[in-house]
Amino acid sequence: MEIPEEVPLPPEVPTLVLANTEDVLKLGERLDGVRLIILDFPKFTDGRAYTQARLLRERLGYTGELRASGAVLIDQLPFLLRCGFDSFASAQKGFGEALAKARTLFSVVYQPTGDGRATANDLRLGRRNAVAA
Amino acid sequence: MPDTHFYRYDDYDRALVGERVEQFRDQVRRRIAGELTEEQFKPLRLTNGLYLQLHAYMLRIAIPYGTLSSRQLRKLAEIARRYDRGYGHFTTRQNLQLHWIRLEDAPDALAMLAEVDMHAMQTSGNVVRNVTADHFAGAAADEIEDPRIWCEIVRQWSTLHPEFSFLPRKFKIAITGSPNDRAAVRVHDVGLRLWKNPQGEVGFEVIVGGGLGRTPMIGKTLREFLPRDELLAYLEATLRVYNRYGRRDNLFKARIKILVHEIGAEKMREEVEAEYAATRHGALKLASETIEAITRQFAPPPLRPRRTRVPEVEALKLENRAFALWLKSNVAPHRVPGHAIVTASLKPAGAPPGDASAAQMEGMADIAEAWSQGELRVSHEQNLVFPHVAIESLPAVWRALERLGFAEANIGKITDIIACPGLDYCGLANARSIPVAQSISTHFASLTRQHDIGDLKIKISGCINACGHHHVGHIGILGVDKNGVELYQISIGGDVDFGRTALGTILGPAVEADRVVEAVDALVATYLGARAEGERFVDTCRRIGAQPFKESVYGNS
Amino acid sequence: MAKNLSGDLQVASANRLVDGLVVYLDDAGQWTPRLDRAALARDTSESAVLLERARAEAFTVVDPFLVAVTEDDDGTIEPLSLREKIRAAGLTFDAIASEAIRYA
Repeated sequence: MEIPEEVPLPPEVPTLVLANTEDVLKLGERLDGVRLIILDFPKFTDGRAYTQARLLRERLGYTGELRASGAVLIDQLPFLLRCGFDSFASAQKGFGEALAKARTLFSVVYQPTGDGRATANDLRLGRRNAVAA
Repeated sequence: MPDTHFYRYDDYDRALVGERVEQFRDQVRRRIAGELTEEQFKPLRLTNGLYLQLHAYMLRIAIPYGTLSSRQLRKLAEIARRYDRGYGHFTTRQNLQLHWIRLEDAPDALAMLAEVDMHAMQTSGNVVRNVTADHFAGAAADEIEDPRIWCEIVRQWSTLHPEFSFLPRKFKIAITGSPNDRAAVRVHDVGLRLWKNPQGEVGFEVIVGGGLGRTPMIGKTLREFLPRDELLAYLEATLRVYNRYGRRDNLFKARIKILVHEIGAEKMREEVEAEYAATRHGALKLASETIEAITRQFAPPPLRPRRTRVPEVEALKLENRAFALWLKSNVAPHRVPGHAIVTASLKPAGAPPGDASAAQMEGMADIAEAWSQGELRVSHEQNLVFPHVAIESLPAVWRALERLGFAEANIGKITDIIACPGLDYCGLANARSIPVAQSISTHFASLTRQHDIGDLKIKISGCINACGHHHVGHIGILGVDKNGVELYQISIGGDVDFGRTALGTILGPAVEADRVVEAVDALVATYLGARAEGERFVDTCRRIGAQPFKESVYGNS
Repeated sequence: MAKNLSGDLQVASANRLVDGLVVYLDDAGQWTPRLDRAALARDTSESAVLLERARAEAFTVVDPFLVAVTEDDDGTIEPLSLREKIRAAGLTFDAIASEAIRYA
């Protein structure tokens, strides 16, 4: 899949391009100073990069740009965002508009990820404590 | 929502379901407008429960932990009438299937489901599916803890999980709260068994890598005892290992059971424990208030002990043989004295097993409301259960069931057949299963004969995907296709009850459809001739082995 | 009645997108639920053309494919395989009616 014009590959930015079979927990020094990591979806049904993304963000504390590339489709956006992706190489028509809407498609989430959103259980606890207080 | 004795949605749950419906509505619009290809759309519709089958789309509606209120069942009847052909099929995973849904109606049908806090999310696709429980949960006398509390906790955690929505393959979890495993935990991707350790703490045995289908396997214990509040951390670790290492090159080798088989249970345990060490103290640890809040919602109905010997029941038992037999086979003990668990048989002689018309569903909702605290369960054997019936009410319940055609005294008996929809409906099937079930159930309709034969579970699958669980049938029947002819392979001795899990032994070459009944007859005759006192069919199989049965069907050769 | 069992005879079939209904491509390139109106391909090259036409008309259907059929003396067409017979003719048993309270 081609990377569209709006998201050029910046060669001067320290970049790591990873296959979705790589164990990110073994990257070690290769992560040092990296500011852009590109993860791959060879098919959109291949979900390994979601795990790579979460481990990079949540286990390894990576704070640079995390890009999804390959078969990246609109309907995966809510998942991609929650796993920590913040840029996308997609040629799908309407992707930009969809990205704008994707963050607010779901007002409730059930499970905690590195995106810091309060889960339904967090909110319930807060509500219960507020009532009790 | 009127008070139920199981989890009640709050506004957060409702918001999520509603937003999912609207998302799907837009996805359907885009598909019909041609903005999405079928390849792009398929996972989206599958994760909303919509299959494309032979004649139409099939909607698989989730019935979490098999528990339904009468209000919900009435809504299912309304949906079946309005958007389908007025009947539905209860499945072996405690879901309801409607076989004639139109894609363009699906969002409206889902919106109608959302009105009663129901949905069809993740009943298909490569995601975590409906978490099933023991269908007697919360009522059975032998229960340690209600497994449905944990089914609900896992349901929420797994719904729209951003990391695990594109797994190598489907993922099925089952939970039992009783030593008598009615949820078949050892043949699931993950099985969880609640038990109490010598210190008196309740925790989970975690079993991984079981499954039926092409390569039936019994799960391995990954963890003997897991503290309850660490369940989600452990599941997340397990799913993460599977997501990373599960095979994606071959559809038939993509389940977690293959991964466990290929790397070994020991290595699997190592990988999961390593990941779990990182997750266990994080945000996935369950707050005790969260567990308590959900536990409270499953508090049993306030049943006070009642008379266990009721004159009306005793009298009816003496004067009506059908009622007497029904008491024996369809009524099970309840933890509260003077009450019982009633299984309504959705296997009337000659009928397609597990089906109910809209009118029958409404009749069942009425019975639940009048005599079962407004609640029903879906069993794993395609029947419906009234979990909280006072013994005094048994005659009234039986009569009401008789009017609906659901009073057959055949639970666990030879005509209580489990059958997948088969080639009549399903695009994956090689052969039909429903007509075979019908012919067997017609042939063995006599109640006297059935009760004499005793417990005998026949399970029929129309293809190797084994949705009918034929591998674990006392008699298992697998439909195959040979040169365009439907043939049926027969196995015996499979079992999945009472903590025992065994796969059946194939008896010989597959036989034609019109030979199946006589083959079953021969097996029954062999059993009756050889059985010891009190021995069930499956016990006799175990004792004397397959050879005598083989000979009775195929002759000495 | 003699039947043409050679397997060379094909029709194109699919499920309609909006409702999943079983349909067949007719001579006019429209999708019809009626098998007796299906366009017939009588050999391999005609079949290839038929499939291509079906794919070209696939906007309103899902995944068209070819179905082998037989044709008897009076022109009645029937699918060769049991699966396709069932797709064409429906369930092989009586499903319960919506208002029935007992199975007939």
